[in-house]
Amino acid sequence: MILKRMNGMFLISIIPFFILVLLFLFVPLFFMLYSSFQGDGGSGFTFKQYLEIFQNTYYHQAFKNSIIISFFSSLIAIGLAVFATYSITLFSKKIQDRILVFANLTANFAGIPLAFAFIVILGNSGLFTLLFKHFGWDLLNSFNLYSWSGLVLIYIYFQLPLAVMLIYPVYQGIQAQWKESAALLGASPLQFWLRIGGPIILPSIAGTFSILFANAMGAYASAFALTGSTYNLVTIRIGALTTGDIFARPELGSAIATLLGVTLVVALLINEWLTRRIRRDLS
Amino acid sequence: MSFLTIENIKKSFDNETVLHSLNLSIKEGEFITLLGPSGCGKSTLLRTIAGLIHQDEGKIHIDGKDVTEVKPKDRQVGMVFQSYALFPNMTVQENIEFGLKMKKLDKETVKQNAAKIVELVELTGKEKSYPRELSGGQQQRVALARSLVTRPKVLLLDEPLSALDAQIRKNLQKQLRSIQQELNMTTILVTHDQEEAMAVSDYVYIMNKGQIAQSGTPHEIYTRPVNEFVARFIGNYNVLTREEVSNLFKGEKNFKNKMYAIRPEAFSEDRILDGYEISGKIQKTSMLGNITRFELEANHVSFIADRLHKIDEDAQKQETKTLYLNRKDVIPLS
Repeated sequence: MILKRMNGMFLISIIPFFILVLLFLFVPLFFMLYSSFQGDGGSGFTFKQYLEIFQNTYYHQAFKNSIIISFFSSLIAIGLAVFATYSITLFSKKIQDRILVFANLTANFAGIPLAFAFIVILGNSGLFTLLFKHFGWDLLNSFNLYSWSGLVLIYIYFQLPLAVMLIYPVYQGIQAQWKESAALLGASPLQFWLRIGGPIILPSIAGTFSILFANAMGAYASAFALTGSTYNLVTIRIGALTTGDIFARPELGSAIATLLGVTLVVALLINEWLTRRIRRDLS
Repeated sequence: MSFLTIENIKKSFDNETVLHSLNLSIKEGEFITLLGPSGCGKSTLLRTIAGLIHQDEGKIHIDGKDVTEVKPKDRQVGMVFQSYALFPNMTVQENIEFGLKMKKLDKETVKQNAAKIVELVELTGKEKSYPRELSGGQQQRVALARSLVTRPKVLLLDEPLSALDAQIRKNLQKQLRSIQQELNMTTILVTHDQEEAMAVSDYVYIMNKGQIAQSGTPHEIYTRPVNEFVARFIGNYNVLTREEVSNLFKGEKNFKNKMYAIRPEAFSEDRILDGYEISGKIQKTSMLGNITRFELEANHVSFIADRLHKIDEDAQKQETKTLYLNRKDVIPLS
C-alpha cells in the first residue's frame, strides 16, 4: 500500500520532467525532421532540401570543415586530457577537488565570452600579441587568431576541461590491485598501461571522444563571434539560414541540422564498432 | 633452516605504529597463517613481504637473499587478493599466461605451463571465458593459477576466500591445501577466520595491534592459548577471572593467575578421576548442528559447555546438570 503510494508520488513528481523533455526535445526534433522534408515556405513534402545539400559544394565544405575541426580538436583535447587527468589523480584528494572545480569553471567558459577573451589576449591588438611584439617577436607572423589555427585553439580550450572532467572518473575505475598484481607478475608500469589499464579505460575514452566530437560539431557562438560567418561551418550555415543572412530558409537549415545529427550518430556507431573490436570481452 | 625470515619489521602510518618490530621465520614448503581481527596489521605485513609497502625498519630474506630493497616484480612472490584482481579485459588463459609472458618465455613453454596449471586448479574448458563470466570461486581459482604458474618462491594469500560463501570456501580451503602440498609451495595466508586458519595451516601466528600475540601449530594454539586475547579470539572459550574460577570450583584457592580459560567441549558428563565436579543450572540450550551448547550457571558464575548432539535431547531449562572437568583443562592466561 505504502509502496503503491510512493510509486504514485514518484510518477507525479516525474511528470514535469517528461513534459519538459517532450516540449524542448521531442517537439523541436519532430518539427526539425518535418520541416526538413518541406519546400521553401512550407510548400509540401519534398526531398529538394536534401538534394540541394548533396549537390552544393558550399555545404559539402561546411560539413568537411566542421568534421575536421571537431575531429582534430577532440583528438588533441583527449590526448592531452588522458595524461593531464592521470597527473591530477596523483595529487592529494584536496588538490584534485580544486582542480576539478577549476576544470568545471573553464569547461563552461565558452561561446561569445570565450571568443572575446581570446581576442583580448591573442587578437591583432591583444595583450600578449603586443607584449611579444614589444620583446621583438611578432606573433602575427606565425599565428592568426582569426584563422583555422585560432579556431582550433579556441575549440581545444573549451574541449580540454570537459575531457578532463569526463575522464577523471574513468581513472577511479582502475583498481589499485590490478596494478599490484601486474607488478608482482613482472610487468612495468608502462606494460600495465599498455596491456591492462589502457584497454580497460579505452571504451570510456572512446565515449568521451564521441561527446567531445558532438560538442564541437554543435559549437556555434565561439566560432561565430571570432570569425563572423566567414568561416564555413555547419552550425554557422544553419544559423545563417534560420536567422536569415539574406533570406531565411529554415527548411534547408532543418535539413542540414538533420544531417548534422546523422553525422553524430554515424560517428558514434563507428566509435562503438572500433571499441568492440579492440575490447573483445565487451561483445 | 628458514626459507623466509622477517627481522624487526616496523611500519607506521601517520604516526600510528601498525607493525611493532615483528619477527617471523618460515621453513620451505610450510603453510603459515597470519590470523587476527581487522586492523591488527596482518595485511600490512603481507604487503610488506610482497614489497607493495615499504617498511620503516627491518629486513626481509627470501631463500637466503636479502630482498628488503628489491622491487615487487623481482622478489619472486605471488599474491592472491580478496577481490581476485583479475584483469577484466583478458580471458582466463590470458590472465594465467600474463606472468609467463612478462618473463619473456617462449610461446610453447607459456602454453604448456598454463595448461598444466589450468588442470591443477580444475578450470579445464574455461580457458576462453572472461572473468565476468565466472563464479566467485572460479575467479579465485584463476587468481590462484595466475600466481602459481610463475612458480614464485613464496605465495601470499590476502583473505582469498573471504568473499565466497561457506560451502565454496570450505571446498576451496581443501583444494588450496592440497595444491600447496603438491607443489611444496611456501605459503602465507592472511585471514580473520580462525576455523580457516586451523583447517589449512602448519603453523599459525595470531596478531593483535601489530604484534604477534601467540604462535604455534593449530593444535597448540587451540588447546593452549597463552593470553586473554587469544583465548577470546580463537574460539568460544569460557574466559573467567580468578574469582570466578574459584567460585565455580567451590572455593578452590589454588588459582594464582588473573585470568583462566576453559574450552566448552572440555566439560564431560562422565566422572573424571581427580577432576573438578560442577553442578550447574541450565539457562539456555542451543543446537549448533552437530553440537549442543548449554549455557549454565553455577555458584553465580555463567559458562558454556558443549556436547555432541544427541538425537533424543532431554535437557530442560532450570534443570541441574553435573559436569566434570580435567584439572589441566583450566588454562591459566598471562
